[in-house]
Amino acid sequence: MRNHPSPSRFPLWFDPRSRHPGTWAFILNRITALGLTLYLFLHLYMLSKLSQGPEAYDTFIALAKTPVIMVGELLVIAAGLIHGFNGIRIALTSFGIGTRRQTELFWLMMVLAGLGTLFFGYVMFFKD
Amino acid sequence: MKTPENSWLWLYKIVAGLLIVALLGIHFVVNHAVAPEGLLSYADVANYYQVPGIALMEIAFLVFVVSHALVGLRSILLDLNPSPAILRTANTVLLLVGAFAIVYGVWLVFVIQSRG
Repeated sequence: MRNHPSPSRFPLWFDPRSRHPGTWAFILNRITALGLTLYLFLHLYMLSKLSQGPEAYDTFIALAKTPVIMVGELLVIAAGLIHGFNGIRIALTSFGIGTRRQTELFWLMMVLAGLGTLFFGYVMFFKD
Repeated sequence: MKTPENSWLWLYKIVAGLLIVALLGIHFVVNHAVAPEGLLSYADVANYYQVPGIALMEIAFLVFVVSHALVGLRSILLDLNPSPAILRTANTVLLLVGAFAIVYGVWLVFVIQSRG
């Protein structure tokens, strides 16, 4: 009953002991989902600057080019890649594809997400 | 144990997720082709929306992202085994938030498109 869903057992979500890759995949999917949903609504709020005219939007964009915001953007990209690649694995296995190789598929997807994050980090911080 | 998530909703979440990945890929290619330096000013964004098909693509992306995110939030809530009353309230709140986000996003697309 240790993993029985209940609000009172919520703190157990943060207990990293005895976790299998499938559980890590589930946890990563949930955490990135929450982060990306928060970002989605922040992004919609940010886009409201467009309706206020060029000055409001261009002032905001100048802020978005600062290093702290760019690190935040890279975290969003990393979360998107992890969630997206892990989601492809979930979609494949949901339809019976690769169910016997789920662990290998998970690590492959995480390697792709890591490489994608490195690529975007390079383009954002080191290319011109 | 019977899962309280409707199987059609679960299927929608999976299909919408795959469509988001596909649209994101198209978005990157189109974005790179139309604005190689990026959409870094108001004028860039206004010009971007003058390209035929862009508004439709962005609206489709908005609808799939918002609905996938909110159905996903509901899945996370279901992990916590909520009471039927809490789930009913959550369903209403998520529907209202989703409807508002989509209507607002579509309105914004038309506003910026009209200013190009």
